[in-house]
Amino acid sequence: MKSFESSAPAVEVRELVREFKGGIRAVDGLDLDVAPGEIYGFLGPNGAGKTTSVRILTTLLRPTSGSARVAGHDVVAHADAVRRSIGVALQEAAIDPLMTGRELLRMQGALHGLRATDARDRAGQLLERVGLTQAADRRVGGYSGGMRRRLDLALALVHRPRVLFLDEPTTGLDPTSRGALWREVRSLNDDGTTVFLTTQYLEEAEQLADRVGIIAVGRLVAEGTPDALKARVGEPMLHVELAEPESAGRARDALAGLGSVEPPDPAAPTRVVLRTPAGKGAIAPVIRALDEHDVVVESVEVETPTLDDVFAAVTGSHLEGAAPVEAPA
Amino acid sequence: MSATTAALPVAFALWRRSLNEVLRVRGALLPATIAPVVFLLGMSGQFGRLTGLDGFPTDSYLSWIVPLSCLQGAGFAGAATGSNLARDIEHGWFDRLLVAPVPRPVLLVGPILGGVTRSLVPATVVLIVGLVLGAELPGGVPGLIALYVACAGFCTVAGLWGTFMALTFRTQQAGPLMQQGVFLAVFLSTAYTPEVLLRGWLAGAADVNPVTHVLELARQATVSGIDPSLAHTLPGLLALAGMFAVLGALALLGLRRLGR
Amino acid sequence: MSAAREGRVVAALGRRALTVQFRRAQLLMPTFVLPLMLLAVIASGTSAAQGLRGFPDVASYLGFVIPGTIVQGALLAGLTSGTAMAGDIEGGFFDRLLAAPVHRTSLVIGRLAGTLGLSVLQTSFFLCIGLAFGASYPGGPGAALAAIALAAITAVGIGGLAAAIALWTGSLSLLQSIFPFVFVLLFTAPAFFPRDLLTPALRSVAEYNPLTYVVEAVRGLLTGQEAIGDPLSGFGAAVLLALATTALATLALKERLRTA
Repeated sequence: MKSFESSAPAVEVRELVREFKGGIRAVDGLDLDVAPGEIYGFLGPNGAGKTTSVRILTTLLRPTSGSARVAGHDVVAHADAVRRSIGVALQEAAIDPLMTGRELLRMQGALHGLRATDARDRAGQLLERVGLTQAADRRVGGYSGGMRRRLDLALALVHRPRVLFLDEPTTGLDPTSRGALWREVRSLNDDGTTVFLTTQYLEEAEQLADRVGIIAVGRLVAEGTPDALKARVGEPMLHVELAEPESAGRARDALAGLGSVEPPDPAAPTRVVLRTPAGKGAIAPVIRALDEHDVVVESVEVETPTLDDVFAAVTGSHLEGAAPVEAPA
Repeated sequence: MSATTAALPVAFALWRRSLNEVLRVRGALLPATIAPVVFLLGMSGQFGRLTGLDGFPTDSYLSWIVPLSCLQGAGFAGAATGSNLARDIEHGWFDRLLVAPVPRPVLLVGPILGGVTRSLVPATVVLIVGLVLGAELPGGVPGLIALYVACAGFCTVAGLWGTFMALTFRTQQAGPLMQQGVFLAVFLSTAYTPEVLLRGWLAGAADVNPVTHVLELARQATVSGIDPSLAHTLPGLLALAGMFAVLGALALLGLRRLGR
Repeated sequence: MSAAREGRVVAALGRRALTVQFRRAQLLMPTFVLPLMLLAVIASGTSAAQGLRGFPDVASYLGFVIPGTIVQGALLAGLTSGTAMAGDIEGGFFDRLLAAPVHRTSLVIGRLAGTLGLSVLQTSFFLCIGLAFGASYPGGPGAALAAIALAAITAVGIGGLAAAIALWTGSLSLLQSIFPFVFVLLFTAPAFFPRDLLTPALRSVAEYNPLTYVVEAVRGLLTGQEAIGDPLSGFGAAVLLALATTALATLALKERLRTA
């Protein structure tokens, strides 16, 4: 597990508010810190305030009140310094379809003050890094969605930013492209780049983020590592399917010492459910214990709480879909 | 690297990019070029006999209309700068530029210069068509310079107007507003007839419209010739400078309001 | 499918076409505002033309030129109708219509029904604005109604042509780029000047332009002077145009379905 040096935060937000016409508060008192070198996942449903927050942090929008500092600079008073320190890949892969990938990268270099030769070299390096060398001299209008996203990422990296903002970077991508982008983000982070990632995909937050901040109606409702957040709402469960219903009693006895065995469910006479903090680490001991008691096992499945469960516990509704849950006991 | 990226390379890069609109889109310049030529031929065909009226400074209505059509083409090329900016804003491309460490006004220079570059095509085509069909050139080369200065200046002014509209409304739906602004500026003037023959409200409008002076600056090519006293030149240049100052300030205001 | 049922389909499609027109500013501007702007400039800028020898003796110059605006409006109504159809095709909405159990021809006629309705509203609007600004129509209310009908049939004629192009090409950008050519049709007719006072080249071309007879007919109706324009010729030209282009559009639709 990474440990983050205690130095000034890469991103520091205090009581941030952004109000739009009609009194709509898209961001309503947001507080958060992101340590240098961290991947921070900003998770929330559509309309929660993720994109508005990112637009403020990337100097595209002014806050109504509160403060935000990125790479040590105030986003309002020192916007220019912030822009020099950040790379941005926004929700819409904002690229010009009439230009080639290489031209776009060179132009981005010019925008960041690189000399023509430096911009050209940097463009070549980045194209190779994101796997677009072959397509470099084709017009971007003909790129696939995955290629556009990769180019978008490359554009954000031209000037080697200290902090990288990715706003829903894999929305609309197929699983293969998504996986490729995740690998790239991890690699960037290994090189020391702080990543501020907004997403509505649970798996993305769980896979990539060192810490996750869950936002709902404009404010942070939960924050922590993915495991710590999930541990707040419950322990993992092992669902053991037995070959014979008559062995259920022996199975319960066998597993009693490994965790908390759930009461039997008359609707599922061949199933034994074990709650244990060990999660999938308990599979081998469970199989061994059942074997020692001559219990034949059909299958073992692990069910762990998800970040959606965390969101539901805190807000009363799910991240994915709008159905409200029953009020927590 | 300096504290802020130097302006010139950025302006050049964005100027170069703006030319892609016509260099990489087949036939992109056609509507912008054909429209003023159609107006040139149509208006001269419809109203050609007006030169028979006392007070008309030329016998050739084509010579009278050529500068108008050149200016019209240049103005619409400028308005197109605004439409392109509105499209870039809507599609998120402009955000990419805003996040770069570049003084924001510099982001406008390249595209406006691109509009001026593009406007050379319709202005030149109209001029050539007019000359081939018999328009006169009493102003000679100095007159042509005055015509092109008027066109480039008006295109810049129209570009600033379009930019202000784009930054205010941030949608391509503002496109018609940009074009109507240019249309009104060009036609509420001595567009069809000289000042002595204007009647009613249009006479008053032409009097206060600075584009009237720009038109007179341009007409030195095909109607009046260059007046050594610069009586037709200076008012036109001053009018352009004044419009540039006002619309430039509005465009910068629009930029500053972004994100608020 | 019964005729009554198809009639309801046509009415529903026409209503939709009209409703969408009024909900999009960029469609309202060219059809309602632009023609009036040009009218204002031409009526004021060229009114001295009444002093030309050979200019008809009319009570109101504005009343004389407004038929050009009315025909311009019909042209633009037809063109925006075709543009909207191309937008439906490109955006996929047309597929939804094709999937419905309606007669294929109703899809074309429904669109043109909307064009008809739009033109009626548009022409009435222009005549009222003209009246408010001092135009007089000696032909009387009956003649004004006939002029509205004539303009509407012409709009259907142009709309049919635009719909045919939309159905053949399915290209919105192509329809949009046709805009300048609309003015070619307008300017090669005596839209704003009497036919006898057009330049000779234009006068020859005008004889072959069906819009010549339409605009003269509207002018004859509104001024109450049949010598200026024969209503029957105008209606004949408009009806023939409408029938021919509606057939063309229907053929284009059949071809589209055949090659889909």
